[in-house]
Amino acid sequence: MKASAVRQALLLIALAFVPAIGEAIYFRDKVSWQSPIPASELVTVDQARSWGDNVIWVDARADNEFERDHIPGAILLNEDRWNELLPHFLGQWSPERKIIVYCSAQSCNASREVAKRLRDEAQLKNVFVLDGGWEEWLKDKR
Amino acid sequence: MDLSSRNILWRIVALIVGGIFIYAGVIKAMDPVAFANDIDNYKILPWPLAVRLAFYLPWLEMLCGLALLLRSFYRGGLFILTGLVSIFIVASVVARARGLDITCGCFGHASKNWNFSGHLALDLAIFAALIALWISSPRQQQEL
Repeated sequence: MKASAVRQALLLIALAFVPAIGEAIYFRDKVSWQSPIPASELVTVDQARSWGDNVIWVDARADNEFERDHIPGAILLNEDRWNELLPHFLGQWSPERKIIVYCSAQSCNASREVAKRLRDEAQLKNVFVLDGGWEEWLKDKR
Repeated sequence: MDLSSRNILWRIVALIVGGIFIYAGVIKAMDPVAFANDIDNYKILPWPLAVRLAFYLPWLEMLCGLALLLRSFYRGGLFILTGLVSIFIVASVVARARGLDITCGCFGHASKNWNFSGHLALDLAIFAALIALWISSPRQQQEL
């Protein structure tokens, strides 16, 4: 009985590859396979600095982290208070400036989520994510 | 409760559990990138593996759900689903213990705003149903 269950399970595991591979082929150009953020949407601290004043910094961290410290001129826009903070951000936004979103470190997802929402919901272009986030900014400052 | 009513009861449980997995699989297969992000939130797997799993797991869930519904490859489907749910419960608890703010992604973004206790309660209920189906299945096969 156990052997037949394992045999059946192995067959199901093998079968599932067929539609999965088909879907992966269909999505091959729409997915970033090596990194959660496509390279074209990621900027390093050095790159960001080279853009000078042509940048709006968006801090996607929690309110208390923003209050403790943030990149000079950054605007707070996190998912917890998205509806409340978005109008304030849009009031400061201008189309010729690039938007760079950051969160606490390489491992956080908030910047990615906020950048995605800015593109999808607010229909903004030129939205980037800071590679390494706040942690990398601090390292670079030292 | 006589044997045939008990069999009908188990059949209904299998239909519900199978239906849940088919629904969960379809929702996730429709947006594999969102599901990849949900897997990535657990910070257990590297992104290249998370994104590949995001394409594979929904189809495995759907096939196993169908196996429960159609009673074909039934025990194989139960075996896999029990394993998947167990892994998922452990991963959720570990992520919670590590202080990660996770979106389970069990039902795609439909479950995005569920709290941790809600997720865990549902997973434990599904796990209990799978174990009950597993225990009851030899008896049902003998009686069929």
